[in-house]
Amino acid sequence: MPTVTIDDRIVEVPAGTNLIDAGQRVGVQIPHYCYHPRLSVVGQCRMCMVEIEGMPKLQAACSTQVVKDGMVVRTRTAAVVEAQRAVMEFLLINHPLDCPICDQAGECELQDYSFKHGQAFSRFRYEEKRTYPEKERIPLGPHVLLNMNRCIHCTRCVRFTEEVSGTGELGFFQRGAHKEIGVFPGKPLDNPLSTCVVDLCPVGALTSTRFRFAERVWYLDKRPSLCTGCDVGCNVTIEHRRGRVRRYKPRVNPEVNDHWMCDHGRTTPERYTELPRLAAPRARRGDETRPVGWREAIDAVTQRLRARSSDGTFAFLGSGFLSTEEAYLLSTLAEAVGSPHRAVWVDSGPPRRIPNPAGWLEGRDAAPNRRGAELAGLVPGPGGIDASELLVGAGAGRCSVLFVADSDFGRAAHDAKVVERLRAAQFLVVMGWADTPLARAADLALPVATHAERDGTFVNVAGRLQRFGAAFPPPTQVRDALSVLVELLARFRPEVAGWSVGEVFAEMARRRPAFSGHAWARIPATGSSLASAPEPTAAAQG
Amino acid sequence: MAFEKVLTRNVGNPAVLRTRGYRDTGGYDALSKALRMAPEEVIEEVKRSGLRGRGGAGFPCGMKWSFVPRQSPQPKYIVCNADESEPGTFKDRLLMEFDPHQLLEGCVIAGWAVGANTTYIYIRGEYTKAASVLEEAVRDAYASGILGDSVLGTGFRHDIHVHRGAGAYICGEETGLLESLEGRLGQPRVKPPFPAVVGAFGCPTVINNVETLCCVPHIVQRGADWFKGIGPDERNTGPKLYAVSGHVERPGTYEHPIGITFQELLDGCGGMYQGRALKAVIPGGASAPMLGPEDREIPLDFDRLARAGSMLGSAAVIVMDETTCVVRATLRLARFFAHESCGQCTPCREGTNWMAKILARIESGKGTEADLDLLASVVPNVGGISLCALGDASQGPVKSMIAKFGEEIRDNLRHGRYPLPRRRIFELGAVA
Repeated sequence: MPTVTIDDRIVEVPAGTNLIDAGQRVGVQIPHYCYHPRLSVVGQCRMCMVEIEGMPKLQAACSTQVVKDGMVVRTRTAAVVEAQRAVMEFLLINHPLDCPICDQAGECELQDYSFKHGQAFSRFRYEEKRTYPEKERIPLGPHVLLNMNRCIHCTRCVRFTEEVSGTGELGFFQRGAHKEIGVFPGKPLDNPLSTCVVDLCPVGALTSTRFRFAERVWYLDKRPSLCTGCDVGCNVTIEHRRGRVRRYKPRVNPEVNDHWMCDHGRTTPERYTELPRLAAPRARRGDETRPVGWREAIDAVTQRLRARSSDGTFAFLGSGFLSTEEAYLLSTLAEAVGSPHRAVWVDSGPPRRIPNPAGWLEGRDAAPNRRGAELAGLVPGPGGIDASELLVGAGAGRCSVLFVADSDFGRAAHDAKVVERLRAAQFLVVMGWADTPLARAADLALPVATHAERDGTFVNVAGRLQRFGAAFPPPTQVRDALSVLVELLARFRPEVAGWSVGEVFAEMARRRPAFSGHAWARIPATGSSLASAPEPTAAAQG
Repeated sequence: MAFEKVLTRNVGNPAVLRTRGYRDTGGYDALSKALRMAPEEVIEEVKRSGLRGRGGAGFPCGMKWSFVPRQSPQPKYIVCNADESEPGTFKDRLLMEFDPHQLLEGCVIAGWAVGANTTYIYIRGEYTKAASVLEEAVRDAYASGILGDSVLGTGFRHDIHVHRGAGAYICGEETGLLESLEGRLGQPRVKPPFPAVVGAFGCPTVINNVETLCCVPHIVQRGADWFKGIGPDERNTGPKLYAVSGHVERPGTYEHPIGITFQELLDGCGGMYQGRALKAVIPGGASAPMLGPEDREIPLDFDRLARAGSMLGSAAVIVMDETTCVVRATLRLARFFAHESCGQCTPCREGTNWMAKILARIESGKGTEADLDLLASVVPNVGGISLCALGDASQGPVKSMIAKFGEEIRDNLRHGRYPLPRRRIFELGAVA
């Protein structure tokens, strides 16, 4: 591999690496707008100019490749600094400078580079700025709004629709200073990945209709997590303010979602505000419900599970929203009380496709972790009742205790007929974050953390084990499902008391072959592949 | 020794518009000679002739041909750049309208030399007459066995397509031309890769100007030494068309040996209009920096003009007399570049416009000396870091305006003389 010297640091890179990427390897940041590692190189913004020994003119780092040994590059010479200053000046002379009312402010590359490479005053006086009248808020599609006045013409968005989504809705129209981004008449930007262009836009020209004016970005706290929209398992960053999730943004993982995520995934946190929340454990006697304390609630479940009724069975129904560890605990609880009736229910959704360097990853479940739950043991044992017997058949009638872990496990949890069927159990326990019709029908409703409030792992469609963490704590009276299940299981297996998620994972890795060799603390930020992830059983499809 | 016209020898002879008439003047003899030579020999001959590109950049033609990878399994293409849109330039139009077969012959020889079976002639959209003349000539050449599956019966296949542009200066930039030819927005590409390796449709491509290709048959027919004998030295050879416009008595396209002085050229055009004094001259099209009256004796060739801080470019000589407001003239050119900038890259998109705005302020009388200083500091940023040569080109007139006429403009600004009175450029003759 050839070596290149960048600002006196020597780095060996594969032949064909461009100078921006090469610089990144040794911590040299070369500013750029139009370059993006997953889009074709167009060399348009001219921000990434560098000096190369033996070349009379400055060169664009994005379009200069390291092909042979001995290239010497300098990124902070007087000529480079002047070129960057000039480009910043050019970009700003016609920019509206409306940062106070711009959604991008705070995460705007024009702001950042102005600070770093620009100048604090304007030499563009007297003349009128070039504007695009009537083009300040053009809906390009259902999720994306264009303000042409703020555009710096980097064409990342255009290239995204041509090269990544493959839909080509966006075009670059007109010429010179009047050059503009737009859609073709009657062809809105409505592909399933459309909001990615908002992430790609380095400035405030493209904004998201969902996030627009919701929050100043500097108030947002961020935590790496996973999307729950389907079983692709896109890596995301949860961005919230004091526990109110404002948006999901894709987190780079070349093995899964690369730099992208779909519009559907971005809408998933909205469910936490659309549905009412279960606020405290709630017990029912007849038509009366009353709030109960956690100890009383867990006592009640324990008592029911200990009373070995001769004509009733204990059934445990989980969902694809459970973390692998929660599913493991649920299946272990079933084992502890000697029940083979363990199942997981997942709605199948419309296919969600995400491109990554290896191709397209397609998710079909409407939940993120059906595979993880099954691998963790949430599958019917010998003679066990399966999920469809409970939801479609009359299986619940045979249950003395039916434990449903996830009050919002799918469409069925909101379906009066299904709720009626499940209600046939003698004692219905529903654990979940949402106060759904199912939770309201339960004898005991246990409020637990939302996805954003807990730690755990998911196993995606390709058998990749990925970790997520709590972005913020759950409200008072609400506990995370893992600790509830640990406490419950400890009533039958005292050694489990007080286990953390890592300890649960460790036992699962010992007892479930699919996870053997994996350790909670050693799962990389981008996940790791389970060596042999078996294909899911068709029976569990909804 | 009187110079015998080469490229324009057939101008005014309508017979040469037909293949037969062209052949009667010795046309296509060079092609049949070239087809008897090895392709490498043709390239070598053109290399030795010292022929440099006539489109503006002056790149050695033979060397450009030799960059095409011989062994490439991909098809190769010849593209003739007939998108003549540099303001002041109208030499290629003459060649296409009056002697189309000379160009076709050059194209086929180039195709033979580099192993290309197809030529695209990308012609400026406004050149409707030239396009129809060329199309007619191509039809006639097919009918006469010059083009098609077997050129002159040799079994070498060559096709020529005439492709009309839609009216953008930037499509004269070679990679902008290729984008447009391929059916996309005419925007220059990032280089490298250069077209010789990755050109039209991703294949190796040679792009030559009309006049360059028109020189080729003569080099093949009469030899590189003959060609080298014309012109002042080894690096500036051959006949050259100069398109003269502006304040001269007889504007038009003139063929001279390359490297005659401006004064000689002017004398050939009947001198300055009404004998007025020379103020400024643009020697090579809109992007060439202006020269002043003191530069009359500079030979108009690639190297000497470059040394004088200007360039031969397309050899479009725009002459301005003492009645000209140089700021207004420069503003006109700056507006042209701002209008024609493709808008891809930052310095050109924003810079060309800004320069035009500052010039407009000065020209209108609202400017100050500080504006001239600002302009001087903005100009160097527009070129140098732009994606293609248009940004660089747009600097030429403005930079030279400041260099040559800065003191005069300052004086005018100090005394509030702008806007200078608009004078009628040409007195209208009495209408009978």
